[in-house]
Amino acid sequence: MDFAIEDTAEQSAFRAEVRAWLANNVSPRIEHSVDPCDMSFEQYQLRRELGRRLGAQGWLYPNMPKEYGGGDLAAEKTVILYDEITRLGLALPPYYDAGGRMSAPTILVWGTEEHKKRFLPPICRGEVRTWQLLTEPGAGSDLAGVKTTAIRDGDVYVVNGQKVFVGSSHGADYSWTIVVTDPKGERHKNLSWLMIPMDLPGISVTPLDLLATGGEGGSGSGIKNSVFFDNVRVPADHLIGGENNGWKVATTHLEVEHGGMGRISDRRVVYDFIDFCRERHDGYAIADDPNAREEIVDMYIEAEITRLFALRNHWLSHTNQPRSYEGAQYSLRRKLSGLDISEKMLRIAGPYALTKDKRWAPLNGTVEYFTRDAITALHPGATTDIQKVIIARRIGIGRAEREKAGTLR
Amino acid sequence: MDLSLTETQSLIQESARDFVKGDCNRDALLKLDRNPGAIMDGLWQKMAELGWTGMAIPEEYGGTGNTMTDVAVLCEELGTGPVPGPLFSSAILCARVLLESATDAQKKAWLPQVASGERVFALALTEDRFGWTPERIRLVAQRDGKDFLLTGAKVFVHDALFATDLLVLVRAQSGSGLSMVRVDAKAKGVAIRALDGFLAGMSEVCFENVRVNAADLVGKADAAWDALERAMLTAIPALCAYKVGGCKAVFDLSVNYSRERLQFGQTIGRFPRVQDHIIHIVNYLDSARWTTYEALWKLDSGIDATGGVHMAKAVASESYLRACDFAHEVHAGMGVIREYGLTLHTKMSRTLYHCLGAPKLHRKRLESVLGLAPK
Repeated sequence: MDFAIEDTAEQSAFRAEVRAWLANNVSPRIEHSVDPCDMSFEQYQLRRELGRRLGAQGWLYPNMPKEYGGGDLAAEKTVILYDEITRLGLALPPYYDAGGRMSAPTILVWGTEEHKKRFLPPICRGEVRTWQLLTEPGAGSDLAGVKTTAIRDGDVYVVNGQKVFVGSSHGADYSWTIVVTDPKGERHKNLSWLMIPMDLPGISVTPLDLLATGGEGGSGSGIKNSVFFDNVRVPADHLIGGENNGWKVATTHLEVEHGGMGRISDRRVVYDFIDFCRERHDGYAIADDPNAREEIVDMYIEAEITRLFALRNHWLSHTNQPRSYEGAQYSLRRKLSGLDISEKMLRIAGPYALTKDKRWAPLNGTVEYFTRDAITALHPGATTDIQKVIIARRIGIGRAEREKAGTLR
Repeated sequence: MDLSLTETQSLIQESARDFVKGDCNRDALLKLDRNPGAIMDGLWQKMAELGWTGMAIPEEYGGTGNTMTDVAVLCEELGTGPVPGPLFSSAILCARVLLESATDAQKKAWLPQVASGERVFALALTEDRFGWTPERIRLVAQRDGKDFLLTGAKVFVHDALFATDLLVLVRAQSGSGLSMVRVDAKAKGVAIRALDGFLAGMSEVCFENVRVNAADLVGKADAAWDALERAMLTAIPALCAYKVGGCKAVFDLSVNYSRERLQFGQTIGRFPRVQDHIIHIVNYLDSARWTTYEALWKLDSGIDATGGVHMAKAVASESYLRACDFAHEVHAGMGVIREYGLTLHTKMSRTLYHCLGAPKLHRKRLESVLGLAPK
């Protein structure tokens, strides 16, 4: 086995190339806010600009095919790209683009050639930003229970309904949206996916005030919203994967969302926090306390196991290995270990973990943000309970047949 | 990055899997559980013929010089049994100890026979004040001319009942540094008594005026610990892999049972509470697996593996124990029928929990590796 991500001369040359490229192309004006909700429009624009430059290189969606604007990069090179951009406190894409990350591999599987040529290059080149619109007031865990309708009317679908807990600050060009195309149809056989241009008349976006939203680590969404559709007329050729075939399409989408792709770097805040505990101020360090040391080690092990699950998933997906429960297992782990780690931070650092006060907050307020975010992160991309349901099905607990995982690129 | 097995490792896995399925099926293991010594009547020799006793030993000393990951792949499969016996103690742990500590003459005299399975070593370290740290070791070997005279006891010694040779940790006198001596298990004054109870393969070893030749001093007098610790760090991940195999077996048993056992008119695996138990098991399995194999990769690649080994040992020991606990929640009454086989794992998970240091000790060590402990 080989867990190393920089090996060969070829790879280290690529790392040097990426590093040099980033040094020339990441604007020195890019600043990092602890809480993605604080990101200004100007900062967002700087990240979009970086995205376009990455896209022109095929590096924004490095594992997508070249002919659709990706980079066709091998797993090791993709890892290096992620690694290097994460080192700068950014992510890939360097802005919230969940709709792109989820739809691109899905369109690749389910789209027609025309869909692929039309929708994938703008995503992969960073020309558009895409949200994903799934959750509704009455459909959270029960995704198949969505009520937003899209009724065919000549060469358009007329969309009506409400999505919630979606999107980000600073708007989007498209929304990858699950809708009901057959309101009288049987459950699971009534759904479809639309790529909805967000500048159509009848769409309104209302921001929500939430405890936290983004997910730590560079591509946080910032503010979440409600999105209302009032007789929005979407061109019929924006429906992808076949009318009423949306549940099948969703299995691919959800595979991506449930952590199937894996990540390479994880939870930097934990390692920063451990550094912080080692630091000595006025002759005192948190790690002087033997009880604190025990908790720090527990926290470290939690973070390491999560990192290893992510690494495994990354390897599985990028080498096209058969997967079953691993995506959901990682999501579950990440959510629960986040909560666990935040509790340990609270025990170790006391109320310091709770403040973002400029004078008293450790690590510039990242600990305070993490304690909020760990709680918020329990639901996006499916709750812990749903993750367990998926794991059970995939393992085949109580069933003779294991449910198959969706197909990923 | 490539987390797959090499071709060699796949072959090792396959032959070990066949061995466990055939020679060490459940009925065979239940018999061995009642009569542990019987493993030396044929099965041990078969394992040696398969080349397993020489894998962790370099070619110059009669082994095949495999990587520790190769060795771990074997251990993982044996752990699925769980196959008892001295393979880990002798051919991995003590082999590494001899490689780190012994003189070249000693290595040449002993290691080829360890590799062939003719000699079986066991490490006699822990005593009445149980613990895997040097300060818990008090057994005194009195100088008598050039020889040593040994009187006292070791307890909870793994696999001593199969051993031809013991590596015994001693002090030349109370308060002096640690030394290690080789003692013939059949020597006059050595008494090995298997301990009964909810444990497997552990013994008390008593020494009564046992004469040890100076040529059997292994490593530096009064300074045996550092080399011993290096050897333990190298061997530990193989033991962790055995526990990974244990977790895997317990997981498979639980999943299969969840598909077969009917209550309230359906398979019990349809109940979310039963599913939760099995999800715990798979999480423990994979936590143990990936911490273990990353540590092995570091060892084999010459990267500092100290922190990784301590983490793997803590995680694998806890994972095996808890995986068994959750398996018992799934199995209820069936799980405690000895014939069913789950309790072989439950017992092994307890037996190995402290072997080469409990999770708490390895977490403590990790504090130092992370630079947390005050200097």
